[in-house]
Amino acid sequence: MKKISLAQIKANEAVKILEILGGSNLESKLLSMGVYKGKSVTKLSHIGLRGPVVIKAGRSILALGHSVAEKIIIQRE
Amino acid sequence: MIKKIYLIGNPNVGKSVVFSRLTGVQVISSNYPGTTVEIAKGYLRLDNEKVQVVDLPGTYSLDPTSRAEEVAVSLLKEFSKEEIAVINIIDSTNLERNLLLTLQLIEEGFPVVVCMNMCDDAVHRGVHIDIAKLQELLKAPVISTCALTGVGIKLLTERIKEAKSCPKGKLDHQQRWLEIGKIIELVQRLEHRHHTFREIMEDASVRPVTGLLMAAGIIYTAFKFVRFIGEGIINRITDPVFINIYQPLLEKLSIYWQEKGFWFHLLIGDLINGKIDFKQSLGVLTTAPYIEFGMVLPYVVSFYFILSLLEDIGYLPRLAVLLDNLLHRLGLHGYAVIPVLLGFGCNVPGILSTRVLESKRERFIASTIISIGVPCIPLQAMIFGLLGKFGGLYIGGVYLVLFSLVIILGIILNRILPGYSPEFLLEIPPYRFPPLLMLWKKLYFRIKGFLVEALPVVLLGVCFINILLYYKLFDFVTAIFAPIVHGLFGLPKEAVVALAIGFLRKDVAVGMLMPLGLTANQLFIGATLLAISFPCIASFVVLAKELGLRGLIKSTLIMLGISLIVGALLHFAILR
Repeated sequence: MKKISLAQIKANEAVKILEILGGSNLESKLLSMGVYKGKSVTKLSHIGLRGPVVIKAGRSILALGHSVAEKIIIQRE
Repeated sequence: MIKKIYLIGNPNVGKSVVFSRLTGVQVISSNYPGTTVEIAKGYLRLDNEKVQVVDLPGTYSLDPTSRAEEVAVSLLKEFSKEEIAVINIIDSTNLERNLLLTLQLIEEGFPVVVCMNMCDDAVHRGVHIDIAKLQELLKAPVISTCALTGVGIKLLTERIKEAKSCPKGKLDHQQRWLEIGKIIELVQRLEHRHHTFREIMEDASVRPVTGLLMAAGIIYTAFKFVRFIGEGIINRITDPVFINIYQPLLEKLSIYWQEKGFWFHLLIGDLINGKIDFKQSLGVLTTAPYIEFGMVLPYVVSFYFILSLLEDIGYLPRLAVLLDNLLHRLGLHGYAVIPVLLGFGCNVPGILSTRVLESKRERFIASTIISIGVPCIPLQAMIFGLLGKFGGLYIGGVYLVLFSLVIILGIILNRILPGYSPEFLLEIPPYRFPPLLMLWKKLYFRIKGFLVEALPVVLLGVCFINILLYYKLFDFVTAIFAPIVHGLFGLPKEAVVALAIGFLRKDVAVGMLMPLGLTANQLFIGATLLAISFPCIASFVVLAKELGLRGLIKSTLIMLGISLIVGALLHFAILR
């Protein structure tokens, strides 16, 4: 199965996080902000071609740089 | 016995507002993460004992991932756990995310009081929390507060004593989130509601098309408003006061002055056509107060009014998202807009707030860009005042040159400095509408700060300049630098003094250009050069503190080099 990241899906899609790549530093940072394996999030928007991705996780809205979004592997619900 | 009280919590939950309420110490608070970059300390009376209260920078967890978080965590461990109390401040509208830190604090055995802040906003958004139940589950006192209005603060101070250390077995983050899920299930009830207008606007501001339209509209309106309010204050208040009341008074005074010697020169300055001219006389009692109160202060008021409004509503992080793409090319990321915007008020807080950026490389790029390409509001006010009469084209020209410089310099620095731009990760706060009283307080605080800092420097500075001019001590400096200023920049050699004064204060420096009778083009070059060359002494000190000596030297050389190149280019492009 091909891996799909948060950067690749369309806005307004609700997805579940499968895996966070790119090292434990990023993972623990995201984890402390409430974005972790198994969490359901909704992609709100994507600014420009390689711009940041905005997601809603729980009650918080987070902006992730494009390179961060590429490291978050998801599964469509 | 409690010796110290720490305020800790996630970024942007209102720690600084609670701190102000507890201690009466006024600190700046805004609706974006990372407002607190310097640790504020104050005192609270607890059982007739003064206890120190420390406002820590926001942190998501006790495992620090940024410098601000490191500082927060290390301070927390300074004293033994028996001697402190920790007030954990929580944003009630987002209990789930905030509880991670709470659980960690309790596990580690810190004596915790939980302060559920922004409780009124939670009710507005249909979030209902069972405080009694939460208290029972956490085994720590929980108090619901609204720091903006002061609700619950008294109860909070009364219950600080109840904080007890009861360490638990440590979990990892994944287990903690499971635990939090269970707690949320038990204590939180969400009312199902339709989207409000506020939520629709929150959404629109972070979508590509609507977001950019909104940003363009907001920036344009903000700029127009700053000029409208600034000019309004000048035309309706300060100019009438200076011309109708202050000037006749000074003229009466100067009649009694038979001998026009040293003191006359120092206090009143030169008479222009036999009269005092506030823009040209250059006296400690004439031009100095006119520059500060008649030209700069009106714009300081209008700028900080608009900036504070945008800050408190929570618009700035949205701008950061939209500009992330552009700023990435300069080796920064979206969040750098906050130091840059603060820099437009005064470079000092702008450079200080680069601490929200993670790497040293980013902080160097941002600080250098701010000191070169971001003119502070006193300088901008003087540019409006001086170039305004020649039309908007000249003012627009200055901004265009500065903007191009920022872009070019950013791209070059990003290419040549080792390292890479770090990743952008930012929480976007909801829009909030704090009471007007808070806005006034913040405005008052900032204007007072400006006056305390600027006024003595300006008065002493003009005094100092006049003494040097009177004894013709500047002639030596002028003679050395005249070839550069005259030959390379096309400015008269007297402009050397003005450019040198730029190191002291930019607004006074532009003021020194006023009596020289420059053409519009020469003024344009002079003003642009003042904007990009040396930062004023205050920003210089902060640059040294933030970048270290080597960084400062690098940054200064870049500034000098660019000033020479830009001055010469502009000279040959428009004067010849």
